[in-house]
Amino acid sequence: MGYPYSHEKEVPILSKHFGDPEARTLKGWKARGGYKALKKALDMSPDDVVEIVKASGLRGRGGAGFPTGLKWSFMPKDKAKPHYLLCNADESEPGTFKDRELLRWVPHLLIEGCLIGAYAMGAEHVYIYCRGEFFEATQVLAKAVEDAYEDGILGDDVLGSGQKIDVTVFAGAGAYICGEETGLMSSLEGRRGEPRVKPPFPAAVGVFGMPTTINNAETLAAIPPILKNGGEWYRQWGTEESPGTKLFCVSGHVKRPGNYELPLGFPLKDLIYDVCGGMIEDRALKAVIPGGSSVALLSAIEAENCALSYEGVIEAGSMLGCASVIVMDETTDIVHQVTRMASFYAHESCGQCTPCREGTAWVTTILKRIEDGRGTEEDLDTLVEVTDQMVGTTICVLSDSVAPPVQSSIEKFRDEYLALIRRGERVGAA
Amino acid sequence: MSQAPFKNPGWAGNVGEYDLTEEQVRGIDFVGIRPLEGGHAAASASYPFMLEQKDPEAPLFEGPYEARFKKILTRYPTKQAAVVPTLNLAQEVRGHVSPQTMDRVGELLELSSAYVRGVATFYTMYNKRPVGRHLVQVCTNISCNLCGAQDVLEAFLKHTNTEMGETSLDRAFTVNEVECLAGCGFPTCVQINSRYYENVTAEEVPRIVAHLREKDDRVASPEGEE
Repeated sequence: MGYPYSHEKEVPILSKHFGDPEARTLKGWKARGGYKALKKALDMSPDDVVEIVKASGLRGRGGAGFPTGLKWSFMPKDKAKPHYLLCNADESEPGTFKDRELLRWVPHLLIEGCLIGAYAMGAEHVYIYCRGEFFEATQVLAKAVEDAYEDGILGDDVLGSGQKIDVTVFAGAGAYICGEETGLMSSLEGRRGEPRVKPPFPAAVGVFGMPTTINNAETLAAIPPILKNGGEWYRQWGTEESPGTKLFCVSGHVKRPGNYELPLGFPLKDLIYDVCGGMIEDRALKAVIPGGSSVALLSAIEAENCALSYEGVIEAGSMLGCASVIVMDETTDIVHQVTRMASFYAHESCGQCTPCREGTAWVTTILKRIEDGRGTEEDLDTLVEVTDQMVGTTICVLSDSVAPPVQSSIEKFRDEYLALIRRGERVGAA
Repeated sequence: MSQAPFKNPGWAGNVGEYDLTEEQVRGIDFVGIRPLEGGHAAASASYPFMLEQKDPEAPLFEGPYEARFKKILTRYPTKQAAVVPTLNLAQEVRGHVSPQTMDRVGELLELSSAYVRGVATFYTMYNKRPVGRHLVQVCTNISCNLCGAQDVLEAFLKHTNTEMGETSLDRAFTVNEVECLAGCGFPTCVQINSRYYENVTAEEVPRIVAHLREKDDRVASPEGEE
């Protein structure tokens, strides 16, 4: 069941208990079959747990879509050094609002997933990095962690297995870049949240210099149901390359925005017109951003046949990212929205790498100039050139994220830019 | 004081009456107010409420706050790692993080002042100067922007009589624009202190502002005191 709306086409696995206050409490969670998957995992060998996750084909839900089981298997087996598992609940990608729902509705599901992951990788400490703004959601999670400690689910002897796993809830302080895995590690170590160069990869040298795995909150929340029912069970949904279900965060000009849990490969058209009830006031669709603000825009025609799986969206010319679908109708001023996105990146750039620090600022300046009606047609070429040079030249991918929305909007909505440049005409801004 | 409820007051997703106290709005489905000392050490770093005013001459952490600070230290292998949670706690005590507070945090964690300032200035949630009793942060990023966030921001500025990022003369409001609050499905999303207000429209802003002012009045002259 999605939140705040639900739809019959949904496959509620993670979102089954969204909107159910009882599920937040330890007692309520146990009554709903909670912590059974953990018990099952503890009876298996860690390698077997990793194998099940591999078999499920679960891919990282944070945006990159890296196979989770494979990621887990990178962790060194020897226990000479402490291992860490980090749960990334620092969701800040514009358009994404799934982790907050997970934290505030099913905190125990997340804790259970963290514990199974920690057991599989031999991690003794899990840090759940929550976004600083989530005061209320963090509190719900913190309360759940406390209850789990009191009940012996966490601590020196997890469910009587002799395994020691600690969980600490960490509240961030408002920086988009801390959602990047090495930036998150820097922040957790008490430094500025600046990403660092990979390699060494976190599995070798991670937080506090120790082997570390970082998983998105949604990835970890998907672990308990997979453990309980097996890898093959999870593959009954989704496509061959993108198995399972995913929380789709739909926002923008639709009648019923919200989180919907759907099998991967779900048609974008059906998501907008069926699940979300269509466009507000039945206006025409203009563009869709299928995966949060750092992916390319899809025009209405491209959106027509797009299937929402990792490979399907790439085929349509964009990326699934974290499945944050932002829908824009015919009244949307694309130039204004792209400018707003660019200024977001300029604000959130950590400033380490010159192409990003300078690039984001200049792209924003040029876009604002165009928006004010003072742009030239050469500016469009400059934008493409500048963003081209921002791809692959920096430590992390924040810089790379500016190129797709800017370039795709210039390519697909060039007439809007030109209308502003040539005649000062603004589309849609009534 | 019985106005029509807001569409979604946003507290833990509960669709309750807007003009209830926070505890009442949280109702049965809220997990309960955690004790001042922060409960279990695992959660000690994650209880950041803002705007508790304290005597600037007093030590940074006293009583339950000191206990929480000590708990924070137990959760990390290095003292340096405690810097973000400690700054969160300091902001909770002081309402903002002044250079003096940063120095004090540096002393507590055996870090140089320059280092702590470097960290504190990196993160946007640390108020580097005092803010109003109600810190209003309006998301104007894409999803909210598509649904009229700019109007909401302007309405807040108008009805609180402030400029962006500034504090009103009565020290009640600071209104600011903020990047995506991860409430995109509930546009416009506004964070006022620790609380999210979801589905806010420009028309609702005067009522929200009036409600907050009323709350201030209640604090200033609690019922039944005289």
